[in-house]
Amino acid sequence: MDADLYQVTYIITFFSHFGAVRYKQLCCEEGISCRMMPVPRDLSSSCGTCVRCEDSYLPPTDACAEEIEQIAAWDGRQYTTLYHTDESEG
Amino acid sequence: MNVKRERIEIVIAGLIIGVIASLLVFFGNPANMGFCIACFLRDTAGGLGLHRAAAVQYIRPEIIGLVLGSFGVALIKKEFSAKGGSAPVTRFVLGFFVMIGCLMFLGCPFRMILRLAGGDLNALLGLLGFVLGILAGVFFLKRGYSLKRTYAQSKLDGVIFPVIQVVVFILLVAAPAFIFFTEAGGGPGAKHAAIAISLIAGLIVGALAQRTRLCMVGGIRDVVLFREPKLLMGFGAILVSALICNLILTAVTGTSFFHLGFAEQPIAHTDGLWNCLGMLLVGFGCVLLGGCPLRQLVLSGEGNSDSAVTVLGLIAGAAFAHNFGLASSANGPTGAGKIAVIVGIVVVALIACLNTFKKK
Repeated sequence: MDADLYQVTYIITFFSHFGAVRYKQLCCEEGISCRMMPVPRDLSSSCGTCVRCEDSYLPPTDACAEEIEQIAAWDGRQYTTLYHTDESEG
Repeated sequence: MNVKRERIEIVIAGLIIGVIASLLVFFGNPANMGFCIACFLRDTAGGLGLHRAAAVQYIRPEIIGLVLGSFGVALIKKEFSAKGGSAPVTRFVLGFFVMIGCLMFLGCPFRMILRLAGGDLNALLGLLGFVLGILAGVFFLKRGYSLKRTYAQSKLDGVIFPVIQVVVFILLVAAPAFIFFTEAGGGPGAKHAAIAISLIAGLIVGALAQRTRLCMVGGIRDVVLFREPKLLMGFGAILVSALICNLILTAVTGTSFFHLGFAEQPIAHTDGLWNCLGMLLVGFGCVLLGGCPLRQLVLSGEGNSDSAVTVLGLIAGAAFAHNFGLASSANGPTGAGKIAVIVGIVVVALIACLNTFKKK
């Protein structure tokens, strides 16, 4: 059985790989345990890089808000969207 | 985050795609070229009269099917999303030089796998260069390389590229006088499966690639960056199934679909150095683009206009390659082609540096 089943983890997706790199740096500075990984297919059809945070996550603030596409919580069975960039058509 | 399920799905998709690619050769496509995004874009460019190399002029329905298959599935799954604006001109240039690299090697990463599955050991040198190019790209990714983010675009912007595919398909079927077709026996452009078979094959592969995010570059990149072999497993599945299918076809039909060795391979040359350097350019450029030529077609079907611009860059590269004698042939690379590959590596390295170290 998936070891993650009963532990909520947070998946943060970005508009670019660089956004993920920078977010991970910010998390490390804040002492938040995290790692980079490919974006799970259930979250996006894009094949970019996401950051997986184990216990808590860095909310979208001025330092990283523009790069964050969405934040989702994974409870072992499904995702719950906590934040998603609201973009209207240009 | 059901990684196991994702891995199973991509392996199944890879197995199906490998069989389809092998069968396309049985149905008439050139040997070891059931699918080749670079060659088929080149043939399509020729069919539209963008270059005048008579041997490689045919609008390939597989390309049309790939885009429309991805488009259809993205619509059904509500994943169609018009977006773009991430350095489109830079992507055009990268696409251009990726094609120069492909036509030095005589194949895209997809065909590199199919060449291996057909026993063409020259593709091993291509694979070596491809890996080295990906490692070069990952070097810059780890240091902050970025073409900046994409933005939402109008739906029309995302739909235009799939619509263009429909128009091109009509041109293929209607065959007006201004569309070029390689004459029978005149070269690889004359070898093709029936239009319906090619189109259906493209639609299926496009749909599968959209669902699984199959990407030849992403496979190696993700292993290096994250130790995640999922995409690479798809890559391997294509190789295994195409190889088995080639061996079965050889046994059943009496025609050779598998010929192990370096010499006398179909639509290939034996210059190992330039096979390697060509694919190095491809791997390097594709990492900076975020995906291989197949992935760019699939993304363009999902509404990504940056990928559509990249495909236009690939087409322009193909047209230049054949108008200016840059493309290799079975006789080997040309002098101009060697210069173009070196220029390409320098330009791609410059783009990597300028988008990594200059700004944040």
